[in-house]
Amino acid sequence: MTFLAMVLCGCAKDGQLHEAKKNTVMVEVTSQVWDYRLPWNPGTVSSGRGAGFIVSGKKIITNAHVISGARNITVQREADPRRYAAKVQYVAHDCDLAMLEVEDPAFFKGTTHLDLGGIPELESVVSVYGFPIGGDRLSVTRGVVSRIDYNAYTHSGRESHLAIQIDAAINPGNSGGPVMQADKVVGVAFQGFRGDVAQNVGYMIPTPVIRRFLKDVEDGRYDHYVDIAIRWMPLENPAMRKHLGRPNDGHGVVVTDVFSEGSSDGFLQKGDVLLSIDGHPIESDGSVRLEGKPVQLEEIVERKFAREEVRLEVWRGGKTERINVPLKPADMFSMYEVLYEPPPRYVLYGGLVFQPLTANLMAVLAGSADLRLKQKYTMFATDQMYKETPEPVILSAVLPDPTNVYLRGLAGQVVSEINGRKIRTLADVEPALAANGERTVVRFEGDARPAVLKKDEVDRSAPRIMAQYGITEMSRTELGGRRLAKGSYPQGEKK
Amino acid sequence: MKAWVILGWVMMFSAGWAAEQDEAQGSVVRVRAAIQAYDQFRPWQKKAPYGLNGTGVVLPGGKVLVTAALVANHTEVGLEKPGSAEKCAAEVEAIDYEANLAVLRPEKVEFLKGFKGLALGPALKAGDTAEVWQLERNGELLRNQAEILTVGVGRYPNDEAGFLQYGVRVSLPKRDDSYTLPLIRQNQLVGMVMMYDRDSQEGTAIPGPMIERFLADAADGKYEGFPTLGVSWTPLRDPNLREEVKAPKSGGILVTRVNPRGTAGRAGLKEGDVILSVDGMKLDEDGNYRDSLYGPTAIGNLVRVRPKVGSQAKFWVSRDGKEMELAGTYDRRARDEVAIPTLAFDSQPRYLVVGGLVFQQLTGAYLQEWGDKWPERAPQRLVELFSFQQEKRPDPEKKVVFLSQVLPAALNLGYQHYSGLVLEKVNGKEIRDLRQLAEVLDERKDGDCIFEFLDDPGKLVLDAAEVRARQEEIRKAYGIPDLRKL
Repeated sequence: MTFLAMVLCGCAKDGQLHEAKKNTVMVEVTSQVWDYRLPWNPGTVSSGRGAGFIVSGKKIITNAHVISGARNITVQREADPRRYAAKVQYVAHDCDLAMLEVEDPAFFKGTTHLDLGGIPELESVVSVYGFPIGGDRLSVTRGVVSRIDYNAYTHSGRESHLAIQIDAAINPGNSGGPVMQADKVVGVAFQGFRGDVAQNVGYMIPTPVIRRFLKDVEDGRYDHYVDIAIRWMPLENPAMRKHLGRPNDGHGVVVTDVFSEGSSDGFLQKGDVLLSIDGHPIESDGSVRLEGKPVQLEEIVERKFAREEVRLEVWRGGKTERINVPLKPADMFSMYEVLYEPPPRYVLYGGLVFQPLTANLMAVLAGSADLRLKQKYTMFATDQMYKETPEPVILSAVLPDPTNVYLRGLAGQVVSEINGRKIRTLADVEPALAANGERTVVRFEGDARPAVLKKDEVDRSAPRIMAQYGITEMSRTELGGRRLAKGSYPQGEKK
Repeated sequence: MKAWVILGWVMMFSAGWAAEQDEAQGSVVRVRAAIQAYDQFRPWQKKAPYGLNGTGVVLPGGKVLVTAALVANHTEVGLEKPGSAEKCAAEVEAIDYEANLAVLRPEKVEFLKGFKGLALGPALKAGDTAEVWQLERNGELLRNQAEILTVGVGRYPNDEAGFLQYGVRVSLPKRDDSYTLPLIRQNQLVGMVMMYDRDSQEGTAIPGPMIERFLADAADGKYEGFPTLGVSWTPLRDPNLREEVKAPKSGGILVTRVNPRGTAGRAGLKEGDVILSVDGMKLDEDGNYRDSLYGPTAIGNLVRVRPKVGSQAKFWVSRDGKEMELAGTYDRRARDEVAIPTLAFDSQPRYLVVGGLVFQQLTGAYLQEWGDKWPERAPQRLVELFSFQQEKRPDPEKKVVFLSQVLPAALNLGYQHYSGLVLEKVNGKEIRDLRQLAEVLDERKDGDCIFEFLDDPGKLVLDAAEVRARQEEIRKAYGIPDLRKL
């Protein structure tokens, strides 16, 4: 029996490698990255390589970061020297996953597909397939599952989801490749650490996240992750428990903040004690048991989709209430999401460049941004500034021109009004600039001087500035897939 | 702060030449300061001590002038005769951290007997030459030729707004006792070198007129300090902006913010006013007045150094195109009457430990304890309140009391990772300073102590009886000599 089992095990391993070889693809991408310093430019072109794998329905799964900004994608299999053109069908930047389609059916000749498995056990062995640096053929490395926990997904810059840490290094080129155990895909390799930070630490996207992505796109579009949009605190302190009228039973967390306009706005209140979520009792540290494993209570929310509900048992005012919270994305945090596809938006006026405050803009201003701008950015969501200003507008640069000789020091200021009109989003800028009058007055937050321009001079400067700086459009204001902190999705959004 | 330290302490053979023995020899002393600052993060204790050594100037009255930076946070200051190594303790009689000057008084009056006090010389202009004096190990004077490159208003180590300063070019060899060095011309004191950059061989010196003003103020035993205007302003060179604010053809600066408690605010100046002249001195579009000695000089010198606290201030302003005179009195309340003071030298930080929760009253010194990058590293709410306090905390009586850390103990389980939280209320009462917090807490003998904070988690609760029962235990466990310093 023992012998047989070992042989079977060996067979399974051989089978896994065979299947992986057939269904793992090299993804070569030429991409273009927008330059938020020069938002009118098409950006710089670079190329890179990642991996992907074929799932049922003749689709390829890879990482969003492998194909973000792609202008050209080719895929290639180990057994076929030809390169085939591929297109992005869906991309989910928030969980770093993408689905590719290949038009030419010849590509799928000789392929099967890989099936998704479950969450591997701690200390079990997994194999990572991909095309990392060091050669051009398929590479296999093995590692042990070291940790299963929430982790930041660095691609989007703001998201944390369940991730599995393994002790095989994930290197550039591994990204998007399947991580397998017993013939099944148990994850998508997606990020690691640089060698100078930690060795042999790699992360993969586990199957609950992959399955969620696959389910989300079934309706023909990818929606964002939903968020319960509250802050809570573990209820460990006995005095705090007593104050809230809770017995010392090790259950429940207290809601410390409810984000205005978020899912829970109007449903939950500060001081509510959350006792259970979808029938799972909440421990006082905020964990729930899911499939026998402790996970953060957010994991219950994570697996749901927009307009679905979570059922909460809430201790409020001395009694237990049942509250169902309908879920939606937390748009108040969308500012912190790094943008890939949509072209940067801007308005150019007399050499003054106005841009909405985004993670991308902050990345280019980071070194030079003054304290006021930095604080606007870091405290935007926690201070719920989005209620007043859904999308702060920044004077991101001043392109030197005779119209603005005295205004160059104002770059980096947060715009508060233009010609007496409050500026709440970039969409307010052009109408405010069009207001009647001889002069345009731009005011800023804090005690910076206003920028004053003569309208006739600005009008005369436009062709000169465009020629001088190689600008083809004086503004680009369409939303292009970006969600504002407040309000609904723009029509027809589909990434 | 490293850039402000003048010279390293290095043992060297003295340069091949010795200064001539002359009457000047008896005009300077070595000043040895033992410095030990409070630890802002552990306000009940002090940090490791270190020594600073400078060269002080003996003044005609038998006192010694040094920079404030040499003696700030001192535990002990001693004087030492250059030749004999005879020592005497000294006391700081007057100190101005902003102007970076201090007067020391030897404990033994007769110690400086035989020394010849240096008189103050006239103000210098760019292009003038002077000497920077250093002391050799053997007590000989080393006179380094210096040239005044610039005279203008610039930043001082503890004063962002700036005072007049000399830019000096001088080649200074490494010597002991160089943290403070006198600038001398024709055996008269004309300045104190406060910064020196060895690479560029350039330094900055506090000019004689600043010293004169400081000494005059300190002479009556009641030191009042330099006044401040209490406004933010911007140059008015831009013709479009001039037109917008209806400024006259030329001159003047635009006021962008007024502290109502400051000299200008009390005189009735408002945001949007164009200041055309101060005390009869016209201002140009960059905020310079024409100084009879230095030429165009920044307004800072006009309103901070020339007038004394209490003297009359006159402003000629243009408001919405109409010109008017506004009068007031120079004071420094815009600087002193603030919710969050910038400086906190020579004083123990205030704190209160309750149930392991450490509350402190915010100062600029606390924030600076986070290092050079404090605006990024310190808790962002504290940085915000400090940096934009005129907008965020205009009431100077409402101090910022915050939870700086939690000393873990059983009763504060679950709270131990919180820090940098601004306290708003306790048991429903608004907290305006640390002393009041102590009173509110002392009143509560049992039941809940409810702390409400500006930021997440908003509220923390301790049991008052439990707090009382555990105070001594926590005090002992963490070796804190006293649980409060109000």
